[in-house]
Amino acid sequence: MTNIVQKFMLAVLAAAIAGGLSLTAPAQGTPAPPPPKAKIKFPTAPPDRSYDRSTNEKAIAVAPNVNMTLCVTEGDLRVNGWSRNEVRVYVEGGPKFAFKVVDKGPDGRPVWISTVNAEPRPGGNNECIRGETVEVDLPRGASLNLTGKAIDAEVDGLRKVTAKTVGGDISIRNIKEGVSAYTGEGGVTVEEAWGQISLETTTGNIVVVDSGPSDIGDTFRAKTNSGAISLTHVTHRALDVNTISGSVLFSGELKSGGTYAMSTTNGSIAIALPAMTGCKLAATFTAGSFKSELPFKILTDNIAPDDLKSIVANVGPGGDAVLRLSSMAGLIGIKKQ
Amino acid sequence: MTTNCLDIGIIQSFLDGELSGSEITRVSDHIADCDACAMLVSHAEDENAIVFPALAREFNAMVPTQRLWARIEDSIQIEKNAAPWWQKLSGALSHLLHPQIGALAALLIVVGLFAIYKLSGPAPAPSNEVARAPRTTAAPTIVNVDTLPPSTKNVAAPVARSTQPTYENASYRAPRRVTTEAPLNSSSVQPATATDAAYLPGEASYVKTIASLNKSVNGDQDPNVMSASQQVSFARDMAVVDNTITRMRDAVKKNPKDETAKQMLSSAYQNKIDLLNSVAQKQELVASLR
Repeated sequence: MTNIVQKFMLAVLAAAIAGGLSLTAPAQGTPAPPPPKAKIKFPTAPPDRSYDRSTNEKAIAVAPNVNMTLCVTEGDLRVNGWSRNEVRVYVEGGPKFAFKVVDKGPDGRPVWISTVNAEPRPGGNNECIRGETVEVDLPRGASLNLTGKAIDAEVDGLRKVTAKTVGGDISIRNIKEGVSAYTGEGGVTVEEAWGQISLETTTGNIVVVDSGPSDIGDTFRAKTNSGAISLTHVTHRALDVNTISGSVLFSGELKSGGTYAMSTTNGSIAIALPAMTGCKLAATFTAGSFKSELPFKILTDNIAPDDLKSIVANVGPGGDAVLRLSSMAGLIGIKKQ
Repeated sequence: MTTNCLDIGIIQSFLDGELSGSEITRVSDHIADCDACAMLVSHAEDENAIVFPALAREFNAMVPTQRLWARIEDSIQIEKNAAPWWQKLSGALSHLLHPQIGALAALLIVVGLFAIYKLSGPAPAPSNEVARAPRTTAAPTIVNVDTLPPSTKNVAAPVARSTQPTYENASYRAPRRVTTEAPLNSSSVQPATATDAAYLPGEASYVKTIASLNKSVNGDQDPNVMSASQQVSFARDMAVVDNTITRMRDAVKKNPKDETAKQMLSSAYQNKIDLLNSVAQKQELVASLR
């Protein structure tokens, strides 16, 4: 009996010691097993496709007078008119894209389409496509509404063009019914464009050759802050040309009843007119001078040294076209063609 | 072709817009007559066109000028003043959230409460009479010093110094400081209300428009909007336009009936508005393409 009691006491003592050890073990610094951790997946950056050399090409049948909205963020853009009722877009060295039909005509053919980026960057603008080279073919009767970031754009042979880019040169030619172009930094060149024309650049030159109205009342407007404006054979009857730091050059005819306003704050104005031109001239200048190779008869003048000078005169036989020239610091000159 | 050609330094200054009005006139007249100088100007412009884009990154990372710093500080101050009171309160409390500062503040509060308790003496026993008592308990008590025992003379002396009741206006808030916010570009645009009398007829609306455009253009300056060369061009064009405005204002003041000067002044103001609008337009376009 005593033996059984002793064995029981020893067992209780052993259990107590084992329990004590197990309780003190963590306090002595034995590492506890770590709690299970949830696996964290770090987001991986999307693959950079800026140097992707792949080419993508798509085409869609459209109405002949389709309106295309196009946004291109990078690359050289060439838009051409062709004699097929189809839009084709070819992108070299850029992500994939798709057409988006915004509206359809009565015959079911798209009358308004746009392109979208099929591989947009996270948080990026998926309305814009990009590439090293972007080529677009549109029906000749199409109108283009272009927005761009840093692109050099060439547009040829369409009905109407509206282009607005942050930077880069814009070259437009052979347009039937109007051009509106704006670039934040770059030159604008327009050739053989007809209709209402409005051109603007912040820093860059504007050059227009062989252009005119397509309808009565179409006007011409060109404006740059830092750059020259050169107009050759522009036949609009209402012309408004303005630059702050740059010269204005005009070579062509003045239409009867037209109003031609050209001004620069810091630059010269040079006008080349046919020898038999007749118009009414109003010239204002401060520090520069006025010279004319064409005969003119002064109607009123206000010429005082170191002051604002103004001349109102009939050039040649006079006429109902009005030529308003203004330069705050530069020469105003009229030359014979 | 003239014999006295311009120095390249003068040509560069001309292109950078650093010359005065009369010098600009002289140089532009000379260039108009001198083919060699016109060629030099053309070369210099070409060089600028190459150099500025190449150095655009360096120019964009330029050290902020003193004027820029001043404008930044002004903007910060204006934002601080415009912040609602709960933001200011939460900002102040956020400092206390630091454990050490919080502990220090708690300690100070405890010490302060203890000091107040000790200085205010034994608290009166709560009774309804005290609660009903009028607030004129601080009425002056006139104590005759001579009647006091010597041990209490020193203590009572300050009270007995004045036999007349004294009143002070308690103020728990610091006097509010009246500040007027200056426009961001106050150097170039004067506030319309202050100088309305000095404006020529029709000028005030231009000035107001320019002030609001200045605010929007200066308030949201994105380095992606204008490159270094564009910033130089913009500053030069702005200087040219401002110079024209000043000259035409003088001309109109001299002869208020001079319609040509008035017209030129209007077109100079319009040029300035267009110049600012061009920046705003570009900002808008850049934002829409993000």
